[in-house]
Amino acid sequence: MGLFLLKRLAQIIPVLLIISFIVFALVFIAGNPVALMLPDDASQEDIAQLTASLGLDKPFIVQYGHYLLNLVQGDFGESFRYSTSALPLVLERLPATLELAIAAMIIAVTVAIPLGIWSATQQNTPLDLLASGGAVLGKAMPNFWLGIMLILLFSVTLGWLPVSGRGTFAHLLLPAITLATGIAAEITRLLRSNMIEILNQDYIRTAKSKGIRNLFVVYKHAFRNSLIPLITITALQTSTVVGGTLITETVFSWPGLGQLLIQAVNTRDMAIVQACVFVIAILVILMNLLADILYRLLDPRIKYD
Amino acid sequence: MKKISALLLGVSVCLAACGGETEDVQSLDEGAASIDEENRTLTIALGTDVVSFDIHDHNNTSTEAVHDNMFNYLFKRDSQNEIQPELVDTYEHIDDVTVEMTLKEGVTFHNGDPLTSEDVKFTLERVANDDTLQEYPNYRQIKEVDIVDDLTFRVITHEEEPSLFHRLSRLGSSILPKTYIEEEGWDHFLANPIGTGPYQFEEWVRDSQVVMTPYTEYFEGEVDEWDEVIFRVIPENSTRVSELLTGGVDIAVNVPPADWDRVNGNAGTSMASETSNRTMMLILRATEGFPTADVRVRQALNLAINNEAITENALRGGGVPTRTRVAPGNFGAEESLYDSYDYDVEQAQALMDEAGYPDGFEMTLHSPRGRYLQDAEIAELVGGMLKAINVEVTVEFMEWSNFVEMRQAGTNKDAYLIGLGNSMFDGAYAVDWYRGDRFVGETDYQNEEIDALLDASAINMDDAERAEQIQEIQRIANEEQPHIMLHQETVNYGVNDRVNFSPAMDEMIYVPSISKN
Repeated sequence: MGLFLLKRLAQIIPVLLIISFIVFALVFIAGNPVALMLPDDASQEDIAQLTASLGLDKPFIVQYGHYLLNLVQGDFGESFRYSTSALPLVLERLPATLELAIAAMIIAVTVAIPLGIWSATQQNTPLDLLASGGAVLGKAMPNFWLGIMLILLFSVTLGWLPVSGRGTFAHLLLPAITLATGIAAEITRLLRSNMIEILNQDYIRTAKSKGIRNLFVVYKHAFRNSLIPLITITALQTSTVVGGTLITETVFSWPGLGQLLIQAVNTRDMAIVQACVFVIAILVILMNLLADILYRLLDPRIKYD
Repeated sequence: MKKISALLLGVSVCLAACGGETEDVQSLDEGAASIDEENRTLTIALGTDVVSFDIHDHNNTSTEAVHDNMFNYLFKRDSQNEIQPELVDTYEHIDDVTVEMTLKEGVTFHNGDPLTSEDVKFTLERVANDDTLQEYPNYRQIKEVDIVDDLTFRVITHEEEPSLFHRLSRLGSSILPKTYIEEEGWDHFLANPIGTGPYQFEEWVRDSQVVMTPYTEYFEGEVDEWDEVIFRVIPENSTRVSELLTGGVDIAVNVPPADWDRVNGNAGTSMASETSNRTMMLILRATEGFPTADVRVRQALNLAINNEAITENALRGGGVPTRTRVAPGNFGAEESLYDSYDYDVEQAQALMDEAGYPDGFEMTLHSPRGRYLQDAEIAELVGGMLKAINVEVTVEFMEWSNFVEMRQAGTNKDAYLIGLGNSMFDGAYAVDWYRGDRFVGETDYQNEEIDALLDASAINMDDAERAEQIQEIQRIANEEQPHIMLHQETVNYGVNDRVNFSPAMDEMIYVPSISKN
């Protein structure tokens, strides 16, 4: 196990290096942010002057080398827009995003597990069709649209929940539900198909034929055996949740990483874009690592080489 | 199986722990509650966050709209857009490059320090000398500030500078506290800014909110209509409107035309609009080889566009047709060109025939989408109107940063749609867009007469004469049509009935002018 972990951690370094290159190259191709920073009526001379003073007139390889060198020292550069270090700005936002992501995962898992089991045991009944149909719908609905619809229904029409912002538990509810919907749908579908597969296996039939109660069979045998893929998929979905916050945060003006990244992209605030992508990449890598570890812990048949 | 149970337990403990922490964080900014009669908190929803409290290093009107409540300028435009002294008590021109000014007595910063000439020198010389600051281009004309005594100082410019007072009454001119910044450091100032204004800084949660409270020692007397002012950041239009409809905010900026009926139809809210200082226009290519190089073609395009149809249809009445960028309220406005337009398809066709394009031509119109009020709709409408003179328009929509790059690289084709403001409220800055050597490779419009007038007006200290020069440039441009003017935009706010708010042309949200109904 120790060796496995060490190997996996060592793999992170080249991955991060590649990410740094891609992000830097993309931002570089996207172009010079100086014209966006200056007023509409700035002269070419003003633009050239600011470009030079920010070091943006140097060739790609020089700028990238400079960037890497700073990166190793934990310096992601300075935000043009906020004129302060990028990394603290990004880390400052992390709690809000994690709060939203965790709440969404809790909602998704709480809804998806009973729904998936229920759906599997009632296979092909109208209720199952309703549940799996709902899951397809949930997966298909764009977060953006769903968020606005939830606001219109629960805030504007019914007046039950606040529209946007971060503050009380009530503020968390709508964005978390928006984010959870797609994830819950995904987990429900996977759990359902897993359970159906297991329920059709010989040992379940044997158990049933021995006269063991149906409920006991489902929970003691079938559910436990579908736990392994369930936990893996949940861990992997957590990384897509972080991506989903991008849109959800904008709709609900939730002051997290997603909103920061969108605004930074719009204003070509390079340092912030790079730092955001990096932090998100590290989160995703860690979640994948966690999924792997869980998988290996849960299934003793898998070797740790 | 034990392993699994232990793991699940671990995970749930983890989640519970995170959940607990969540509640702690949440209690920080509670209170975005519902609005009632007794509520003395004013909440304003902005579309973008304040960029910074470095007043010299941003170029963002909505940031200035917030700063305006915390800082003062030496001069300020009044409701008639006349420039009046604000922090300055008296002033006098010593010679063409020197103005002596005396500060009002008893002005203090939010930490109690008195405002002195040292603060003015510190502030203006910083922005006039540091070329990495975004506002540097607008202040490099200032050579130095000489201190005469505690309250008296002289502002000296490199050469004659007729726009000096325009510069001193706009963003970038807030007076900073020298002692506070030197003692505490610049970073401390940015996190805990202080000014001399009616409201003082309480808190800034990035992309969430800025909170201010009244400054009890304000030199013009405490402004106590509100106990607290919250500027909330809500980028998504429909969310911002929903907050207004549910009473979550008192004022919402930039309500799109599609939502005006909803806001007006809702009990307790209504729309408030004011013309902005931003004009929408088509900038044409006068480069040899483009049909738009021919002045008759440019005139024909202008005549074929019905400005009023655009403001009525695309903007639902929000917008004033115009033939000049310099609107009333700006220095040097040629008012006869405002609130009017030329529309005559027959004459347009005649000009097209004369120019050798009786069957029209194909042209490309670049347009940003989502940058200005109904920009995409306006571009489509223009395209439709030009069909009447057989001009086939391909509208090419561009994301804003690509649009900026297209202009900078000079890869613009026949025309692009743009909206331009004027933070100086000085027509000189609008007509400078006709300067020949400024847009070489981009629009290539040249007019010697205009260039001569621009050079003369730039150093003319005689206001009446300078205004006449700027007006003359507008009249020539209206003949030559290097840019086709469409209309002046409006700024559109949704307002809760409990609040009495009149929007301003400069888009400032000055809280002392907002009262309870």
